[in-house]
Amino acid sequence: MNYPIWDVSFGAGLLIALVAGLHVFVSHFAVGGGLFLVLTERKAIKNHDHALLNWLKAHTKFFVLLTVVYGAVSGVGIWFTIGLISPTATSDLIHIFVWGWAIEWVFFFVEITAALLYLAGWDKLSPKLHQWYGWIYFWAAFASLVVINGIITFMLTPGSWLDVHKFWIGFFNPTYWPSLFFRSAICIALAGIYALITASVLKDKDLKARIVRWGALWTIPSLLALIPFGYWYIREVPAALFLSARGLMPTATHYAFLAWSLLAVTFILMLLALFTPRRMHLVFALVIGLVALGAMDSFEFVREDVRKPFVIENYLYDNSLYAAAMPGDGGFTVDNLNTVGVLHSAAWIDQRTITAENQIAVGHEIFRVECQACHTANSYRGIHQLLEQRQWDPTTTRAMLSGLALMHNGVMPPFAGTDPERDALAAYLNTLQTITPTPATDGKLIYQNNCSMCHQDHPNDQFFTSIVTDPKAAADSFKDLTSIFPLMPDIKLNEPQRTALVQYLNTQRPPAQHAQNQPSPAAEGGK
Amino acid sequence: MIDPSIVPIVDPNPLPAPYWLFKLLLLVTFTLHIIAMNFMLGGAFLAVVARFTSKGKEFRNRIFLDLAKKVPVFLAATITIGIAPLLFVQAIYGQYFYTSTILIAWPWFLILVLLCIAYYGFYYVVYNGQRRPGPAGIVLLVSLTFVLIVGFIQSNNVTLMQTPAHWAAKYFASPTGWSNNLSDPTLIPRYLHFVTSAIAVGGMLLVLLALARWKSDREYATYLFQYGGKSFMYATMAQFIIGTWFLVTIPRNLRMIFMGDNPLASVLFIIGILGTIAAIFLMSNAIRKQNIRVAAYGVSGLLAVVIITMIIMRDILRDAYLEPYFHPHQFAVKTQWAVLPVFLVLFLAGVGLWLLMLKRYGLFSGNKPPLADTTPTANAAAETEVELVH
Repeated sequence: MNYPIWDVSFGAGLLIALVAGLHVFVSHFAVGGGLFLVLTERKAIKNHDHALLNWLKAHTKFFVLLTVVYGAVSGVGIWFTIGLISPTATSDLIHIFVWGWAIEWVFFFVEITAALLYLAGWDKLSPKLHQWYGWIYFWAAFASLVVINGIITFMLTPGSWLDVHKFWIGFFNPTYWPSLFFRSAICIALAGIYALITASVLKDKDLKARIVRWGALWTIPSLLALIPFGYWYIREVPAALFLSARGLMPTATHYAFLAWSLLAVTFILMLLALFTPRRMHLVFALVIGLVALGAMDSFEFVREDVRKPFVIENYLYDNSLYAAAMPGDGGFTVDNLNTVGVLHSAAWIDQRTITAENQIAVGHEIFRVECQACHTANSYRGIHQLLEQRQWDPTTTRAMLSGLALMHNGVMPPFAGTDPERDALAAYLNTLQTITPTPATDGKLIYQNNCSMCHQDHPNDQFFTSIVTDPKAAADSFKDLTSIFPLMPDIKLNEPQRTALVQYLNTQRPPAQHAQNQPSPAAEGGK
Repeated sequence: MIDPSIVPIVDPNPLPAPYWLFKLLLLVTFTLHIIAMNFMLGGAFLAVVARFTSKGKEFRNRIFLDLAKKVPVFLAATITIGIAPLLFVQAIYGQYFYTSTILIAWPWFLILVLLCIAYYGFYYVVYNGQRRPGPAGIVLLVSLTFVLIVGFIQSNNVTLMQTPAHWAAKYFASPTGWSNNLSDPTLIPRYLHFVTSAIAVGGMLLVLLALARWKSDREYATYLFQYGGKSFMYATMAQFIIGTWFLVTIPRNLRMIFMGDNPLASVLFIIGILGTIAAIFLMSNAIRKQNIRVAAYGVSGLLAVVIITMIIMRDILRDAYLEPYFHPHQFAVKTQWAVLPVFLVLFLAGVGLWLLMLKRYGLFSGNKPPLADTTPTANAAAETEVELVH
């Protein structure tokens, strides 16, 4: 709202994912690969393995062309992209961590110079001096990870920085160390995987086998190390946040599953490579690379998803509203917008009043400034698709907007704005779908469309534990949902829908629940 | 003028050091970035010209190969050094920078794609220039075109960033990030001013290459000197026309800062013009007298002075454009004493290590090929090849 919103029709989030998803796969290689180069050079010289040394020269070229060119440009690319999509968060992070970025830049500068000289020095320098450049490269690259790790982890777990606003407190935040170990293991694992790619095209099968075994020695233990480091990492993430990846938020849960599964597949493929090193083919090497890319990006998605609805946890929402009022917030907080309204707070909107004629246009503008950081109308995380699935009528949509913050373990920021603004947003959202009336008798469908965003198909969910089992009493209690729990959206179901929902509810309840919630005979008698 | 309230407010986090420190770091690192960029762009430009005029001229082909080899290194330096001003400009001009980039978001994003392709193109030429000069020339031309487009997008952004009055109309016409700043009359002359200075610096690069070969290969070095020196002179002379064009397109009230309204800007303007004239005469004289040292050291020195004055003038002009909106005292400042010294120490250590890396590589030891003559048995890989042959 403070900044204009870049309207990316296919989804701003998708663009960041594309840029960052490939960058991390190269940037972690840039760290681990540096250590790999210098240790492999040592090993080759010690063993007088000239063939290995020759391969390493070619591998260095591949390494430099990939990391110095694509790695560096795409790294700047992430920065470009987040500045376009989340300027407020970028501005916050720059002001909080500018000296951290500046320190990283120093390491980056040393790193790039060392990489170029290491490549150019293959035919010119003594092995000792050549390795000196290799070591400088590796330590500078690792140091840049050490720095950037502090800023990335800060976004998920700012910890007590939120109270004290001190650089080092934010930097060495609760997930700093597990993340550093976790990412370091990824770096080393990737060094081995990338080695397979350049080794796979070798004609000398003995040499290929030596490199594949050597690469596997880097990758396999590192993949195993990811398990304890990952466990440590998860333990340091506040449990309530990580619940998102354990069922409460579909995307985070899927990515968590994918991350571990693809990690396991990578491990199995590497074992296969280890046992048949002479047969390593380029396609197989690329498959391993792609599976590892999938595993790594899934992990990054989980990290990003459990952080939602925040860019900086408990500080700044994805839609650039601050979680709490503070000096200098410009009034860009949920509370303030609820009072003053979006139309009188946001700078970059064209409409300042709501009339019957412009209601939908205003709704569209509110959608742009409040929702479009994550959603699109029709594409990535498209509202059209979500609404077609849910089939909410205008009243339900309006009611649901009041309960956004409860959905999927609180993955969304609350709607911020006045009641007429919420109506305008609902009116716009309703233009994105065509409603087919829900059959009143399908309780399961009613549950899925209206309840499953916040409730779970789990016996312990309040949906099953707190509603009485007597069909009529239960159906009656659904007349006014806010009387069950004040924060619930005030959805109005008609009589047949309520009855069908209760029927479905009772079929899903565990038997014990039935007994528990049945009115006791004594109570019955008392009445 | 638009409602200034559309200019985003700065975020709640205070500046972590005094404003002047960011400004200083911005200007110093931007100067270094521009110098690297000039070597890259000017080098690539002159390499392309040399390649396509090389028929029957062996030295032109050598110039093409010699320059092409250096271009990726200068591009690496341009990007790597460029990160620092990109950081510091966001620290103090973030409100303007983010907004203008959002308005031109797709072209701005395209920079990454163009840069990546151009970069690989430059490397293609390094590895294939000798064997396949035909395709290499075309690839170099394409890469050069791409970096020229990148520069044009940068100019669009910089001009748009300092004219908030133009923002709202562009954004509300289309929020899809496809705007540009072509309607700004300063855009084209400003862009050409930068490109032409890059060509001049590219000419200076050839003079420096001539100096390095002066003793070992006098004939080629003389050719380089002539070719580079004249490129420098002609490009610099053209600057008088382009610079004047640029100057007259700047709104009058802002233009006057160089003509008395702002004493510092006016003095710098005079130094810049006199320095440029002096550089042309000095170069002309050096070419006539075949005095490579005067050309390489004297003119370079003058050129450095001129570049610095231009960078400072550029900054003063930006602040003049933003004067209705931007005042340094708007920032709350809370210096992060716990980390600023760490940066300064690491920065100095980094520069020291960087110089040591170059020194140990032999880059400061004149014309000698680095260490190759001192460690004939050192290269295990080279040995390998020998052994394999045996």
